[in-house]
Amino acid sequence: MKDILRRHQVLKLEIVDVINKQIKMEAHSSSAYLAMAGWCDLQGYDNCADFFFKQSEEERKHQLKFFHYLTDMEAQAISPAIGDCQHDFENLRDVFETALDIEISVTDAIHDIVGVCRKHTDIATEEFMKWFVQEQIEEEYIARRALELFDVLGEDKIALGMIEEKILSVSYDGAN
Amino acid sequence: MSSKVISSAIVFETLATSVSQCDRSEKFFLHFLEKPMELKLCELIGLKRKIENIDLTALVSSQGPDIEILYLSHQHPILVLSIYEILELREVLSGTFTMLELNSLIHKSIHRKFS
Repeated sequence: MKDILRRHQVLKLEIVDVINKQIKMEAHSSSAYLAMAGWCDLQGYDNCADFFFKQSEEERKHQLKFFHYLTDMEAQAISPAIGDCQHDFENLRDVFETALDIEISVTDAIHDIVGVCRKHTDIATEEFMKWFVQEQIEEEYIARRALELFDVLGEDKIALGMIEEKILSVSYDGAN
Repeated sequence: MSSKVISSAIVFETLATSVSQCDRSEKFFLHFLEKPMELKLCELIGLKRKIENIDLTALVSSQGPDIEILYLSHQHPILVLSIYEILELREVLSGTFTMLELNSLIHKSIHRKFS
């Protein structure tokens, strides 16, 4: 009897489940960043708005990367329903605080997926996840550095103007 | 379709229901109700999940009729299942996947190892 299970099911069901969960999380993050971009735009923080528009696109790309991985592995990828996200913020710092919280949650979820891969000795998916592990180092770094601008510069009008100037140049050079 | 069914091997069966697989088409046949349903692996997995996700307690305690309506895809008939049929499908699909995993383990440890 042919091993149809192995020929057509590359991934264990638990792996498919956690990746579908991650697709939803990335979609929600993308939506949350879009809301932040909208808030920044309305408040006149154009560069911060651009920063979050870019972040929103990044999360969408991550979502699609997971989605394509499942379909490539002949597994069912689920296009998620996304719930409501935060649209109102106290101030600009609050927006960046929320952004860091999102990135930490995503990092934890990515690490959990790696844990599930190890539990099932799914070496291929673990390899696939390495890109996301690295990506989260970068994403968390940028979110943390952006937030640190408030500690360094303060939160008065001049400081917020300087943060607006600096925000688009916050980047991660790698662990050099 | 009947010739395909004849050439297929039983994977798991209960008194009233069975699942067989056809090595040539790499599809499964669920012999349930009147006509066998031809399913790809991903569809069989999808059916198993839908059957497992049915909340039987809610079904029993609901005011309406004790039936669950399942839609698989445009290629398959809509399934209208009684509680007994849901339990029957749960048993046969659970047994099927246990057998498929066992078959996979045998292939891994014997066939693929020595080929």
